[in-house]
Amino acid sequence: MAAMSTVQKSGVAALECQDLRVTLVGAAGAVDILRGVDLAVQPGEFVSILGPSGSGKTTLLRVLGGLQSIAGGEARCNGTAVSGPPDGVVTVFQDYSNSLLPWRSVRRNVALGIESNCSKQECRERVEAALAMVNLQASADEYPWRLSGGMQQRVQIARALAMRPSVLLMDEPFGALDAMTKASLQDQLQRVQEATGTTVVFVTHDVEEAVYLSDRVVVLAGKPASVGLSLDVDLGRPRDQITTKERPDYLQLRHQVYAALGHEVPR
Amino acid sequence: MTRALLRRVNVLGLLTLLGFFLLWELLVRTGILRFEYLPAPSGVLTAGADLVSSGELPTNLGHTLEATVAGWLLATVVGVLLGTLMALVRPVWVYSMASIDALRSLPIVAFVPVAVLLLGFTTQMEIVVAFYAAVWPVLLNTVAGLRAVHPRLIEVGRVLRVDGVRELWKLRLPAATPYIVTGMRLGLAVSLVLILVAEMVGNPSGVGFALISASQSLQPEVMFAYIVTVSLSGIVLNALLVGLVSIVFRGQMAAAGEK
Repeated sequence: MAAMSTVQKSGVAALECQDLRVTLVGAAGAVDILRGVDLAVQPGEFVSILGPSGSGKTTLLRVLGGLQSIAGGEARCNGTAVSGPPDGVVTVFQDYSNSLLPWRSVRRNVALGIESNCSKQECRERVEAALAMVNLQASADEYPWRLSGGMQQRVQIARALAMRPSVLLMDEPFGALDAMTKASLQDQLQRVQEATGTTVVFVTHDVEEAVYLSDRVVVLAGKPASVGLSLDVDLGRPRDQITTKERPDYLQLRHQVYAALGHEVPR
Repeated sequence: MTRALLRRVNVLGLLTLLGFFLLWELLVRTGILRFEYLPAPSGVLTAGADLVSSGELPTNLGHTLEATVAGWLLATVVGVLLGTLMALVRPVWVYSMASIDALRSLPIVAFVPVAVLLLGFTTQMEIVVAFYAAVWPVLLNTVAGLRAVHPRLIEVGRVLRVDGVRELWKLRLPAATPYIVTGMRLGLAVSLVLILVAEMVGNPSGVGFALISASQSLQPEVMFAYIVTVSLSGIVLNALLVGLVSIVFRGQMAAAGEK
């Protein structure tokens, strides 16, 4: 009921779950992964989902992306129930090497989602624009597997952006990258989101990353998991890797998130 | 281009081969190796040259290669189509699996007399034999290749709305291409062998028949010349296929580390 009231306050949510239950069948039989998850993501909002590993962050994202069926409750996108990937919602996966088509050049990878329903001219323009947003024009004709991990992940992000999504779902997109690359991609993502106004749901296991990037941090807790903490991050934008992370309110938020993840705070 | 080609030539390997032929020549000439019908390589070379200038060898080789390539191409088309159906349509797989297992475990050579009986001593018979030989590796490799497509790639297709025929054409088949090419290469080698058998058993034309008649008319030089021709044409066919594939499916093969 609490979720209902927030929705009514601010119009139709871009993404919404109510009393969501998800069951995955493993070797040991069916296990409830998520139970009683209530979540509403407003248009243009940047929401990070955190939680201990195995808590069902990725599962929740797959539900929102229409890649995972649900056992109970509701999952809606722009007010309609999710069954299969909803229009305008694109998922970016963590394993970029499996997600890119190794036989296509970077440019043709980026074109994959739009080449069949755009004119040649429009497709070319959208691909160029997407490549420019992630700064990859110079590698456009290279094969993705010849690029570094960070560049490959940028190819995947560009491919999603070329679709002009209203919602971007990102599953630990920077999880496999080194700290330097990660920081630069975080800032690139910030700029892209600012320019496009895309709604982003961002799964990560990195507390600093979540607080730094988000308008709101959601922590999954319990087994089966539900929303343990939903924390607004009022740090203003644009944010900066150095100055934002030195602000007392940033540190305070970071503290709260760590505590919600079950870290003991020494006195 | 030519330099890259030169670098790929295995000079030491070729020298070994040359050394083997020199040794053979030496052993036959000095009489250490004494068989009534073992010719020296030089004799084989002269016989080969005569066969080429008389037009006999080109005609026979042409006949054999035409039948091989025709049957093999047909097998590629049918194998990929059937393999795709079997890999992607569950009922097709369930209904056909037992028959396929039974048919492919039948030694292909055993099929040759059947083909001769049904189709007579014709080129069609040879093409059918080549087809039958090549269709199994193509079919089975297509199935294996399509089954091995990473599930993430299919999810990417769903997310980007690449579905139905486009999913097959843009994701599944390109991902399976290295497997399919392996099947085609195996198929090509097997069809050439089976065509030779068919020509030896029945059809009075082609390299297989020429081999048998050279043997029966006690012309070992001619026989060896044909053997060398066949082995060279096997190498050339395979090289042509590999070269063609690396041009047409450049991305797929490069990604699979074939280049």
